[in-house]
Amino acid sequence: MKVPIRMLGIAIAVIWVLLIAFIVLAAYSVTDLRFNVDEPQFNTDSSGQLVLNLPLIIDNGGYYSLKEFKISTLVSNVEGLEISRADTFIPIIPSGEIVTINHNVPIDLEEIFSNDEKYLFEDSELQISLSVGLNFAEVLPSQISTNFTFPWGAPFSDFEFDQGDINRFNLTHSIITIPTSFVNNAFIDVTGSISLELCNENNSVLSETQELISVSPQTSYEDSLELIVPITENGLTDIQNGHFNLFFSTLLFEYGPLVIPYE
Amino acid sequence: MSEQKTFNTKIIREIALRVLKASLKVALVYIIYIFVAPMLAPLSGLIPDLMISIESFVIFFVVLMVLSDLTKDTIFQHFFNTARELYVIGYLLLSMGDGFMSLSYESISLTVNLTIFYSIAVLLSLLGLARSILQAIDYMGKKAEREASFQTVLKK
Repeated sequence: MKVPIRMLGIAIAVIWVLLIAFIVLAAYSVTDLRFNVDEPQFNTDSSGQLVLNLPLIIDNGGYYSLKEFKISTLVSNVEGLEISRADTFIPIIPSGEIVTINHNVPIDLEEIFSNDEKYLFEDSELQISLSVGLNFAEVLPSQISTNFTFPWGAPFSDFEFDQGDINRFNLTHSIITIPTSFVNNAFIDVTGSISLELCNENNSVLSETQELISVSPQTSYEDSLELIVPITENGLTDIQNGHFNLFFSTLLFEYGPLVIPYE
Repeated sequence: MSEQKTFNTKIIREIALRVLKASLKVALVYIIYIFVAPMLAPLSGLIPDLMISIESFVIFFVVLMVLSDLTKDTIFQHFFNTARELYVIGYLLLSMGDGFMSLSYESISLTVNLTIFYSIAVLLSLLGLARSILQAIDYMGKKAEREASFQTVLKK
């Protein structure tokens, strides 16, 4: 009986030593892991959708491979409404290798603006939940998660739409000149058009116009929209009881109508 | 009289040896603790009471180990060995909880699934417990054998 007990004792001691050695090596391997995040970039994919590209550089200098490496991102607005979700999965990052992962998060601008109009006209922020899951050293599944906010620059920040005076254009028509201005605080070019409709109270279009725009990030736009309205018996009443319909159309999104009552 | 003196000397030497062995073991555990504690120090900021918990574990473990060494070749040695293994199992099960260790620092949270590690540790402790029980059975068996042979000699 003494020999089996001694052998059992030796086996237990050896396995404890191996287990502790494994823990120590795993702890040292963690200190040899390096995570770097390059500057995020905004690109468009083949379908023309805006994509936030987050380049992650992982230097696995440890003794163990990182398996089932998964990055998940959830982008939501300030009210917590989900805007976008993306996952990137890397089956294995071998020991001693440096891997660059391009984590792409599609951003649907139309969904952002349809959920909350203020993202079109007011600078705000987006909430980003980032979680990284991995299986460390085969036996230690781990997850790191963090929440942070990302500044959001509105493409039509400080949008001003001054309802100008009505002047006579010719014998049959009047002209309404509407000074319009905004600052593109977004990270994208605003290239497209602004369409304006003047409607009466029955929603019949009295006049319409379209202005092409091309505004680079951090630059302002200032111009006037002109509407030619036929002079009729009830023309002035129709205008004064009517409203404007504004439509924004760019390469990356379309929005409208934004209804502005005539004052 | 001389035999009694020799016997006393033997007993004193035996006790001294046990104390020396126990002291060496305590010193060894203390040296390991001194080396390991600084490695765990960064975690103490993230896990409150970590160092207190580890210290109390080490103290109780060492006390049981010393008592086991001092009561060598008695049934109490096996009681203390079994108590020590049960204490390790209990400590692991209590500290394991759901098997997940969560740390939070500012807005970053880290969750590590330690279920496999805890399972291996508990299984090893269970093997240790089985060993202690086997040692106790072996001790009782040998004691019974000694008593039986002593009675046989007396009968003769």
